[in-house]
Amino acid sequence: MEFRSAVNKGPPSMTRQSDMLMTQRALEKVRVVDLTQHSAGPYCTKLLAGFGAEVLKIERRPDGDPMRGRGPFFEDREGPERSIPFLWLNTGKKSVALNLEDGRGVDVLKKLIAKADVLVENFAPGEMAKLGLGFDTLSAINPRLVMTSISSFGQTGPYRDFAGEEITTYAMSGCMDLTGDPAREPLASGPASTQYTAAMWGYIATLAALFQREDGGGGRHIDVSIQESALDNIEMALAERLHLGQTAKRKNDKHPLVPWELFSCKDGQAAVIGGPMRHWLAAVDMFEEPRLRGTKFAHALGRIEHRAEFEELIRPWLSRHGKEEIFHMGQSRGLAFGYMASLEETRACPQHESRGFFVDVEHPEVGTHRHCGAPFHFSDTPWRSARAPRLGEHTRCVLGETLGYSADDLGLLHDAGVI
Amino acid sequence: MSDLPLSGVRITDLTHYWSGPHAMRILGDLGADVIKIEFARRMCVLRGAFTKDKVYDRHPRWHQANRNKRSMTLDLKDPRQRGILDDLVRISDVVAENSRGGVMKALGAGYEDFKRIKPDIIMLSMPAYGSTGPWSTYAGVGGALEPTCGLQALTAYDKNDKRRRIKEADVTSGIMGACAVLTALYHRKRTGGGQWIDMSQLEILSHSLFGEHLLEFMMNGTQTLPLGNRHANYAPQGCYRCKGEDNWIVLTIRSDAEWQALCDVLRRPEMKNDTRFRTRESRRKNHDEIDKLIEAWTSGRDKREVMHVLQERGIAAGAVADLAEVADDAHLRARGYFQEARDGTPGLYPGVPISASGWDIRVRRRGPDLGGDNARVVTELLGRPVEDAPVLNENDVGTAFDNE
Repeated sequence: MEFRSAVNKGPPSMTRQSDMLMTQRALEKVRVVDLTQHSAGPYCTKLLAGFGAEVLKIERRPDGDPMRGRGPFFEDREGPERSIPFLWLNTGKKSVALNLEDGRGVDVLKKLIAKADVLVENFAPGEMAKLGLGFDTLSAINPRLVMTSISSFGQTGPYRDFAGEEITTYAMSGCMDLTGDPAREPLASGPASTQYTAAMWGYIATLAALFQREDGGGGRHIDVSIQESALDNIEMALAERLHLGQTAKRKNDKHPLVPWELFSCKDGQAAVIGGPMRHWLAAVDMFEEPRLRGTKFAHALGRIEHRAEFEELIRPWLSRHGKEEIFHMGQSRGLAFGYMASLEETRACPQHESRGFFVDVEHPEVGTHRHCGAPFHFSDTPWRSARAPRLGEHTRCVLGETLGYSADDLGLLHDAGVI
Repeated sequence: MSDLPLSGVRITDLTHYWSGPHAMRILGDLGADVIKIEFARRMCVLRGAFTKDKVYDRHPRWHQANRNKRSMTLDLKDPRQRGILDDLVRISDVVAENSRGGVMKALGAGYEDFKRIKPDIIMLSMPAYGSTGPWSTYAGVGGALEPTCGLQALTAYDKNDKRRRIKEADVTSGIMGACAVLTALYHRKRTGGGQWIDMSQLEILSHSLFGEHLLEFMMNGTQTLPLGNRHANYAPQGCYRCKGEDNWIVLTIRSDAEWQALCDVLRRPEMKNDTRFRTRESRRKNHDEIDKLIEAWTSGRDKREVMHVLQERGIAAGAVADLAEVADDAHLRARGYFQEARDGTPGLYPGVPISASGWDIRVRRRGPDLGGDNARVVTELLGRPVEDAPVLNENDVGTAFDNE
């Protein structure tokens, strides 16, 4: 690759560098073979695609990623191009549809893997080996391959073959026991938080391996456990268990600091946060309650000690004011207030509006739709905003351009039901 | 140690609380030399409310959240100590901060300032609301960002229940912070160019936890969540009482075949042909009734036994674990998940959710003592005389709980 050989001659000059950077995405020229499906794998490869990698999403014929069959669907009408979670999770990827039951399909896949930098998969452990695609086999084909495997419980251990859904890993990581009301059953996370954080860990591991490989190392096989990624999300509570023997439990979102939670107000709920704590005394007059100036509430520890009394004193003022007004009043006094926003309010959020967080993409089947754009902004290497591919949309183009298949080759594979 | 992927990468870490420090901990775990800059007169909130007997050095939460980092105390308003920061940046690959928008710039410690000192520096800025826009100067904590971004609207026992926290805000932003730095490091390794990263925690939570639900709202004007413990597509799914106090099992039936298997486990074969339950749609309609049938069976049984019986049939079932059970989990132990710190201090730590042959990712040291690395950083890294190291005067140490 000319781009890399230029770098090997030494760091480019500043002019040269900025010229290059303006047109480069951070992961330009990284090729990813993406065997993922559902959520955890696809969000990882969505990030890779957005930052510039060429992501070849291998979809098993005839139905492709099972997520295509899962709702909610655009306008509530089913169809492989209408699954909303699929449309979100697969932006910027190329779809290559292959029949992996057929040895010729597996051969095509192996040829793509031979030319790839990265393979990401989230099948049940052992499934890749059954397809003849275990790491040892692939590593023999491509010694520089970084293979990232994301699974519910990891590639080893007694629960390796356990079936896992989002609620299973949330439950078995301790997160669910900490969510909800102590008088009721533990509560699952609404969004698939364990899948998504594991997806990001998959991204981290993949990038770390690519970074290390630039120094001449080979590829490696990475094991990402969704259960363990969920455990990491409660790292401090877990450390306190391991070191102090304390077992935190769910407690209705009561926070140890006061005030540090949602309170009812005139038109909804305001997040009244007494921190950064050094700003409290200068802000307290906003509640128009002289008793809050009493010495017993002056220090954060006093507010914790007299929690119930304190909370009663702020409620009357809160009930007279709206959540957004309270938010801005608290923030203007340096306190980290917030408010309970509906999705409608999130869509209209002035901060999102100002930063252009939501962007429109055009899709041949479902038309223009608005989604979150870049997760964050690099000053020099832009995010690529794109739509999700139609099933098999890029099969011929990828096999032709990347593997050099002729129109005749492609015709034969098509007739044989391989592509 | 030398096998770690980020070995040789140095980070000047100006973050505090949990989001930024979580990003830095991940990079430290991967081998980066993370130098955490602390302001002794107002320590991080994770160091607690007290200073007596240096109790601020002894919190396990601190040891965990700031493991694999060094601690250096600096007062950035003192010109001499500010010079030390500049010297550190000069030998760093990355600088990170998560203060409110504008704070670093006002201190003369923004990207443009550091870029002058170190042209290829990578700087991660991850304020709560981002570095631009009308709310950029606003402060944020997880308890406020979670409702404000819309995330909290999606979790509740049912549609009429109050919305509950999942408390994933700081860690999610932290993980994405690590993603961003790794991406920039890889890019720099190939091109030589550093850059600035503008990250808004408000946006990260939306993108990486509920982007699909925002898209549903944008496209259809509808909102599937919250659904309590039920699943949007599969039925039944729930959390069911087991034998003992506060013991629960979760299970998900993903196909009609799994439903049939569950009927066998429940010893209710006649339900297999019951039209009320035969399809996913009919099971969803009669979910309340199914929940009662399942709980009648689980409530007298041990949750782990139930989990194994169901898993043997291929059903996604898990015993709800509390932290004590997690710490004792046979699977995690068999995977070598928990670790001792290599610094000889007692106790076990959570591991990392990624592993690979050749990567020896360890808790090399627990979270550092306040200013514990001042002398070594100044002499060994900066080559300055030890007299230049900031001296920690215990009378000047203050906490995040103090009034100003």
